Amino acid sequence: MACFERASPSLKKILLKIYRAEKPLEIDHHLHEFGSVEYHIQSSVSNPHLAYLSISMPLLSQGDLPSYGISRYTTEMIKGISSDVVEIVEPAKAGYQLTLRLHFAKIPRNKDPVKIITDISAVQATILSSQLKEMLRKVNYDDTHQGMHKPIKLVYHTREPFYVSRQPQKIITVFPMRFKEYSDVIIATAFFQELMDVGISEKWAKAPPCCWSPIPPPELRGEPFEDLSTNGGFVTFDIAPRHIKGKRLDKAVWNLLNFYAYVKYHVKCTKGFIQRRMRKRLDSLVEVLQKPNLEEDEHTKMVQGCRRTRKWVKLPKSKFLKRKCGEFIKKIKRIRFRLKIQGFLRFRQRWLKIPKFSSSMKYTKLN
Amino acid sequence: MANTLRLYLTCIRNTLDAAMCLQNFPCQEVERHNKPEVELKYVYWDQPGTSAESCRIPYCSFIKKALNVFLTFVIVLYTCMFDCCTCIFIFFFLFIMQVLICRNEAEKCLIEASINSLRISLKVKQADELENILTKKFLRFLSMRAEAFQVLRRKPVQGYDISFLITNYHCEDMQKHKLIDFIVQFMEDIDKEISELKMSMNTRGRLVATEFLKQFM
Repeated sequence: MACFERASPSLKKILLKIYRAEKPLEIDHHLHEFGSVEYHIQSSVSNPHLAYLSISMPLLSQGDLPSYGISRYTTEMIKGISSDVVEIVEPAKAGYQLTLRLHFAKIPRNKDPVKIITDISAVQATILSSQLKEMLRKVNYDDTHQGMHKPIKLVYHTREPFYVSRQPQKIITVFPMRFKEYSDVIIATAFFQELMDVGISEKWAKAPPCCWSPIPPPELRGEPFEDLSTNGGFVTFDIAPRHIKGKRLDKAVWNLLNFYAYVKYHVKCTKGFIQRRMRKRLDSLVEVLQKPNLEEDEHTKMVQGCRRTRKWVKLPKSKFLKRKCGEFIKKIKRIRFRLKIQGFLRFRQRWLKIPKFSSSMKYTKLN
Repeated sequence: MANTLRLYLTCIRNTLDAAMCLQNFPCQEVERHNKPEVELKYVYWDQPGTSAESCRIPYCSFIKKALNVFLTFVIVLYTCMFDCCTCIFIFFFLFIMQVLICRNEAEKCLIEASINSLRISLKVKQADELENILTKKFLRFLSMRAEAFQVLRRKPVQGYDISFLITNYHCEDMQKHKLIDFIVQFMEDIDKEISELKMSMNTRGRLVATEFLKQFM
């Protein structure tokens, strides 16, 4: 789960589109988020002021006990978004846990419509938070009866359970961390160390103290072995009453629910960062090796340039000889044609005649 | 640069300078076969890091001893007949010179030289697990892009993190001192890069942790 905002951005976008549309829109959208959350949004042209939002999602359950659907407390919380605008349809659409009828025309003028639509988009977060709040309340009630501080196991994603234990002055939340790859474990461990260091520092004294240990904390004593076998250790947060006072409660609950996703997102981003940096570095490393080649190329280009100029000035030997011979032949021809000296003809025919060479391929006809 | 690192790099530079006198040398066994001798493993004497299985000539200990005695005899004979230089030249290809330069247990450099090729294997220091995965990731990344470097070997020699193979052709194409500079620069850069990566990862982690805890306040 890479989105840590309470409101679903895509759901918000569609709802705002319906609200702001000048003409009535026919919309029938199915949205899937994080692999397990599904939204169905319907809006018809015949009734433009109404829209239907159905939601299906895994509910928070206590260990092996199944969740009993959406409780009354959760229903109240959803109605609390805006009682005029949001109406819960009973029964919900088949295949969904909750269906809401949205009256966009009834949005009060004195309230910001974007804020109300954002709150409606955060309906999944509202359901989860209210479930956790209810469970914490129950834990408190059980504790007072039994006088024990047995932690409750909360399962949102089947592979990522976490524990909540109520102590006299605080609530302890324990996250057993499991990762698929060894490199993820190392990156996450480095992050947990930093989390501990930041939590200890004076500047962040008001933040909940965080502790990471490779072995299970004493609060989890007696829990099944499968739940306690991890490769990333255990992260513990001590939540004091001041962290869940008033408006902070929603935030605190949402952050705790998303802690796994937060760590995994950090690991993923760090891996991307390493990859980006390595790519950048590769170029600079190769550059060192390519330098001599470039220098050599420049050198050879320079030498070739000189050769060309020489070629332009000097002619090759064969051409030079041909030119010389041609001039000589021209001179002889001139002598032959212009000068007419009696008695010189015989001398010229004998000594100055250019011999004709017959080709081996040709033959002379004999008389 | 730390004094010990400077000494280590200077030692490698000098050794490379001495070892990098490569020339073309066709195979003496197979015609038209011109391969880096350092990779072929002509092992007549015991070479560290080589095993009987990896040798081209299958031999048992008895044959090895006999071969050693015979070759010693031949060398002595040649030394008597010719001058020392000729003898060394003739038999140079038989010996794969190996020099191991260690800065500490975790950081070392193996230089293997033959008549037409040179193999340099590096072991980069890994102080903790984070440095270990960063080094592995980075060197694997470089090995997979070996064609960009020309002299980088795709698979490192066993026990080392990265290997280079320089042949006489590389020496002809590129300048010798530039190649040596590249190797030394590469070693410096790898150390620096891994330290920087580790620091930036920790800084990122701290920032992310701060942002997470800020939401509770």
